[in-house]
Amino acid sequence: MKIFKALVKREILDGKNGYIRVPLILAGITIALLLLSAIGFGDAIQFDEMHREGIESLGDAIALAQEKKPLEMPAGITMGYWGMTALPWVALPFVIFFSLLGSLYEERRDRSILFWKSMPTADWQEVLAKLFVPIIVAPLIFLTIVAVAQLLIALLLSIVVLFQGGPFFVMWPLWFMMKAWFGWFIMYLMLALWALPLFSWVSLVSAFANRMPFLWAVLAPAILIAIERIFFKTTFLGAWIGRHMGGWMEWAFQAKAHRIDGPRDIFAMLTGDAQIQAIAYSVTSFHFWSGLVIAAGFIYAAIEMRKRAI
Amino acid sequence: MTDTQINPPVIEAVGLSKSFGGFRALKSVDFTMPLGRIVGVIGANGAGKTTMLNAILGLTSYEGELKVLGHNPSTERDALMKDVCFIADVATLPKWMKVSEVLDYVEDVHPRFDRAKALDFLSRTSVPLDKKVRALSKGMTVQVHLAVVMSIDAKLLVLDEPTLGLDIIFRKRFYQSLLEEYFDEDRTVIITTHQVEEVEHILTDVMFLRDGDIVLEADMDDLTQQFIEVMVEKGKEEEALALKPISHGTTFGKSTCVFKNIDRETLAKLGETRRLGLADIFVATMTGDGQ
Repeated sequence: MKIFKALVKREILDGKNGYIRVPLILAGITIALLLLSAIGFGDAIQFDEMHREGIESLGDAIALAQEKKPLEMPAGITMGYWGMTALPWVALPFVIFFSLLGSLYEERRDRSILFWKSMPTADWQEVLAKLFVPIIVAPLIFLTIVAVAQLLIALLLSIVVLFQGGPFFVMWPLWFMMKAWFGWFIMYLMLALWALPLFSWVSLVSAFANRMPFLWAVLAPAILIAIERIFFKTTFLGAWIGRHMGGWMEWAFQAKAHRIDGPRDIFAMLTGDAQIQAIAYSVTSFHFWSGLVIAAGFIYAAIEMRKRAI
Repeated sequence: MTDTQINPPVIEAVGLSKSFGGFRALKSVDFTMPLGRIVGVIGANGAGKTTMLNAILGLTSYEGELKVLGHNPSTERDALMKDVCFIADVATLPKWMKVSEVLDYVEDVHPRFDRAKALDFLSRTSVPLDKKVRALSKGMTVQVHLAVVMSIDAKLLVLDEPTLGLDIIFRKRFYQSLLEEYFDEDRTVIITTHQVEEVEHILTDVMFLRDGDIVLEADMDDLTQQFIEVMVEKGKEEEALALKPISHGTTFGKSTCVFKNIDRETLAKLGETRRLGLADIFVATMTGDGQ
């Protein structure tokens, strides 16, 4: 365990640009834009043109909303914060993909594998650490940074609201924010488990490609899809990849029609029902389990490649 | 109890072979290396040195039987690396790491690493700890790597061309500290190098490789006594050739012959004698019929 921890630490250090700098910069941009709109462009905060029902500022709007629909507010505000912090998430799939793609390739290219192999670490530990960090640790770092950004935004907006005479504490739906962070992570875990065969394919490519791992990872499946289409007139591979990239949710969530009436319902669905449905669907899905078996095969192959690599 | 029971050999190889496609890089070699030796593995490029070392280090598959410190290197590399250290090539340290991070990492994963010792080695150099390996000169990178391996309490240290590209002062100092501060009777060191002259005074044993075969395995002291070069005096050439030299040539108009396993007193009658250096022994063995 001590060794695995050291390997995880090393992987984070190696990929700190993607794992830490990228989300920090994107969260920073988000907050900077918000600050600018609060200070420089008063329009977003001071509604000069809008005189409906006496709303002249964000503070007025929040106060009015709180008065009219107090039960909807915590969910609505939380989702508002998520909307404002959408930018960092755009980078996450790219960070995961390129980290996996380079994980077992770069060490062979720069020969540092000979140094790593001179240490008492097993190849399976190395490969698992190189999967664990992009797939599990990176999203957790992103989530932490987004959570901090949301708290900063809450602070910023609540001060604005306070100055405008609005209700300060309405801007702090902490319990809902925590539920959303947790709910996001559970949902992400399900997505990641479904995508594990794809992730481990990229890892395997990274272990065997001598050159151009990107082309191997992307073009090889694309060519197979084309061949299948041309010669067999079927689309199994493409459909399989699509299902594991998130297409499974179409089946997972079709069962129950939701009665959605306002932010509270949406929030409840996103942070509770959706997870339960996703888990319930996945554990009974043949595709889910067969995907995990395929992933195990790819990971095993990647470990075997790592053993032979110098 | 016999000596080998007290101190089992560090390496035991029986019928060790390795082929790359149709090319046989190692042709079923047998050898043992005991504890407390400094072994020079010497051979031309492509003779199989690196293949042999890679097999010992668990970096490549092989045929035949191989035990290193009781482990099977091809399946137990991670366990083996607790007792074995190696520098397989110059510049294998991760370039993106800072020197201090390299030490952190090794400290985390290696139970026998002594950080204070490594820092002591590095304090004698001008290597900055807060710089990335990428920013270091080639010489400094090697210094960092050597500081790391010399601070690991291993039983076997394998150095494949450890000082390639370093200046002569550093190389001298390195071999000196290897001998004085690292080597003892509980460790074995294997060195391959092209600069044979620099290591021959520290070697206890040598192994010559050619085309995947071991052509000679000997104790250094015995070996240097076996080979004698004679500057044959004029008129005694035929007498010299009758003793079947393993090689002969002409230097400054005088004929020189190299003899193997011939009594020095007999040879002294033919002319001035001198012991051969390891490089000359290697050349004589490879080119003549001295094997």
